[in-house]
Amino acid sequence: MIVGSQKSIDEIWNMVKDFKKVLVFGCNTCVAISHAGGGKEAETIATLLRMRASQEGKSMEVDHTDVMRHCEPEYFEPVMDELKKYDLILSTACGVGVNFLSQRIGKIPVYPGVNTSFYGAVEAPGQFVELCAGCGNCILHLTGGICPVARCSKTLMNGPCGGTNKGKCEIGPEVDCAWYLIVERMKELGTLDKLAEIQPVRNWSTSRDGGPRRVSLEHIRAYEEGEARKSETAGGNK
Amino acid sequence: MSGGPATENKGTHLERAAALKETRPYSPCRAACPVNTDVQAYVGFIAQGRYAEAFEVIRSVNPIASACSVICHHPCEQACRRCSVDEPLSVRHLKRFALEQAADYRRSKRRLIEKTKNKSIGIIGSGPSGLTAANDLADMGYKVTIYERHPVLGGMLATAIPSYRLPREALKEDIDDVISKGIEVKTNCEIGKDVALKDVMAKHDAVLLALGLSLSRSLNIPGVEGQGVLLAIPFLADVAFNKKPDLGNRVLVVGGGNVAMDVARAARRLGIKDVEMVCLESAEEMPAWKWEVDEAVDEGIKIHHRWGPKAVKREGDKVKGLEVTKVLSVFDAERRFSPTFDNNQTTLIEADTIIITIGQMANVKFLKDSPVQVDERGRVTWDPKTQMSSARGVFCSGEVVTGPGSAIAAAASGHRSAIAIHLYLQGEAIEGALPTYQKEKLPELPADVVEKINREPRKKIKHLPAETRCSSFVPFEFGYDELEALEEAGRCRGCAGGAVVDTKKCMACLTCRRVCPYGAPVVQAYSEINPERCQACGLCAPECPAQAISMVSYDVRGPRDTMPEIVGAVDPKRQEPVIVAFLCTHHVGVKGFELPENVRKVPVHCTSRIDVNDLLKAFECGADGVAVVRCGNGSCKYKGVEGRVTARTEHAKKLIAMLGMEAGRIGLLTADAGNGKSYAAACAEFSGRVKEMGLKDAK
Repeated sequence: MIVGSQKSIDEIWNMVKDFKKVLVFGCNTCVAISHAGGGKEAETIATLLRMRASQEGKSMEVDHTDVMRHCEPEYFEPVMDELKKYDLILSTACGVGVNFLSQRIGKIPVYPGVNTSFYGAVEAPGQFVELCAGCGNCILHLTGGICPVARCSKTLMNGPCGGTNKGKCEIGPEVDCAWYLIVERMKELGTLDKLAEIQPVRNWSTSRDGGPRRVSLEHIRAYEEGEARKSETAGGNK
Repeated sequence: MSGGPATENKGTHLERAAALKETRPYSPCRAACPVNTDVQAYVGFIAQGRYAEAFEVIRSVNPIASACSVICHHPCEQACRRCSVDEPLSVRHLKRFALEQAADYRRSKRRLIEKTKNKSIGIIGSGPSGLTAANDLADMGYKVTIYERHPVLGGMLATAIPSYRLPREALKEDIDDVISKGIEVKTNCEIGKDVALKDVMAKHDAVLLALGLSLSRSLNIPGVEGQGVLLAIPFLADVAFNKKPDLGNRVLVVGGGNVAMDVARAARRLGIKDVEMVCLESAEEMPAWKWEVDEAVDEGIKIHHRWGPKAVKREGDKVKGLEVTKVLSVFDAERRFSPTFDNNQTTLIEADTIIITIGQMANVKFLKDSPVQVDERGRVTWDPKTQMSSARGVFCSGEVVTGPGSAIAAAASGHRSAIAIHLYLQGEAIEGALPTYQKEKLPELPADVVEKINREPRKKIKHLPAETRCSSFVPFEFGYDELEALEEAGRCRGCAGGAVVDTKKCMACLTCRRVCPYGAPVVQAYSEINPERCQACGLCAPECPAQAISMVSYDVRGPRDTMPEIVGAVDPKRQEPVIVAFLCTHHVGVKGFELPENVRKVPVHCTSRIDVNDLLKAFECGADGVAVVRCGNGSCKYKGVEGRVTARTEHAKKLIAMLGMEAGRIGLLTADAGNGKSYAAACAEFSGRVKEMGLKDAK
């Protein structure tokens, strides 16, 4: 899931202070799981903003609401008319939700209430850890299920580097060395010999370096586009 | 959109939750009640000091509530899930407390109900079932006439149950509630004597026979005829109407049921020192409730078990005693009543008066030659599916058709009859449309949950000592005082009143599962909270990041939504800080929370229910400080609350600090459980600290 973390009220206030009617719009999936931007947090932010407005002597109306997900239009379309009554939507979804809503809501600005942190897991209640970087070319079968792209500070493909120290990374004593973990794990799996194979220079074009990415499923798109054409034709005949 | 969750917000939380409750298993107390009184709901109101609302819950299904509050055999208590922890909740006494507290409110609510339906119903008999049917039919807008042969209404409640057990002022409250709706009452009016049945049938569009069982059965043994042998019901009526029958010095009551207990204990109160009872059954087999037997024994009544009456022995006309035969067994192998005797073992129990209390039957003489058929055993022929007798438009309810039972069971029958009559008069089908009051209930508490529940002894009820209470018909049982009632109400585990997940909002994040100390949430595609385990502590709801959890028994948004009214107008020139105090009411309810004027109280039953957003809302509404006052000394009713509430208050402190406010404006305080004054002291001390920080934006 996508892990988010709340922005400070100061930062949010500076974004919203010149608007009169603000909606804090929560997303009840990933960012709710990370207690950053679900309905409950949206209410908290809305309350804090009203209090801040009162402190600053500003007249500002701040409401809150939430839907299940911001990254699929069907979820927020039912409340679209309500959303359009506001001067500003402060979305507490991840950046995906902010982008997605922003390009659909017309002239109303959509601002982020949350920093989108990473793809992560719930290591323990209230503790989230980055385990995947979404590089678009998975090699976890070669590294004992431990991702060097996300978890090695240098994103080394053939580690560890000289900075490994008793299982920890040189960047900080609290950071595990991913390559130490990979070696230990592959020992456990009896596949340590695989590490002798040198990984070639990696093609990063599937990751951030290749520009914006899109996954398009032909079997679904072919049908959808066909249907869209049919309805266009039907419309044209009228 | 400001309300966040798009929930319907009309009416009270209880009204909004009513439909939901019907889709879930009932609490065992509610399921056990013949009229399904929502015990959990009214006990919850009592715990919050909301007595008028408690009354409304009780009265909504029970028109003989005050009578029940003193005489009910309380099947709710026998079903209470606390039985597997320590002792059942003292439900009947809590009901009595609520009704006493709400007395003025109750009287103020009495209203004449407009007759919107142009039909009239004649109800014969004014006992629990007749009164209940009259109440319901009047509520529906029908014209109702009650025919009662006695000079007072109430049936057996007024004419048989002695006033030491059912004070007549309590019964009067019930009757006044019903009569105030605009019901025509004809007392001293016996059908077949003062008015003919056919005239009643001709006058009304429907007739209800709520006759009860008004005749005592007698014994067919030698010597039974003649003076000195009385029957229970006429004897009790004499007692009820202050006629003092001549009983001599020694009274023997024959029978082992609850009426026999009333008879024996009434005889004691007529000044008879030597009252004895004889019954077929052993102490364990007796049909009377154990507490009745214990109280009778305390009053010096001696019970001869396992003797059967053989003959009344007389000296001349005068009764000498009852010859009895030893009982070998009372029930056969199939547990059917079939006593066997050892005729070689007999004895004489001496007595001046013998009162026979071995059962009752209906007085149906007036039905002879009427369209209402009576079977060869003297029972009115009826169809339980429609409550109708063999005569069209003539209905039956209560013990005349159901046989002997409790007052509240008769009231349930009255409810059914009222609906049946309504459907009949509206030309609608009755069969299948009457309430059964048979509902699925929660099973017993799982053993691992029982282990997590604090042992808290039931609050004892004080009685007049046996030595003094027998000198008069003064009620011998005292009710709870307010503190006792609040503490007792706090023992309720809120069964079936717990957490519910809105599956449209839940994204199965597992937070509730991680939070719940009782293992109630099961999370798959979404969370489902198992009501069998849920203790209604409310710890989960404020933690849910999607606000998907609500509670059946209370409004989780209540404190936030009502905060503007709780805080009220804040004077900018105030000298003292405005403090909002969320108070655990588990131990002392709202009693003793005589807080300083500047403290606005939010009773929360347990601080587990407090949401970070509640605390923030208090500041938004103008509070200078917000206190969360917990019960101390490890006395919390629930598990795992302290750590969670501490975490929430710490989080809220960080949030207000982001607005430049002092973290110390939020205080997590502890007070002595059971001492309301210590809550006030904690709030006052906190208020002083907040004052030093200065009043928020006060000029």
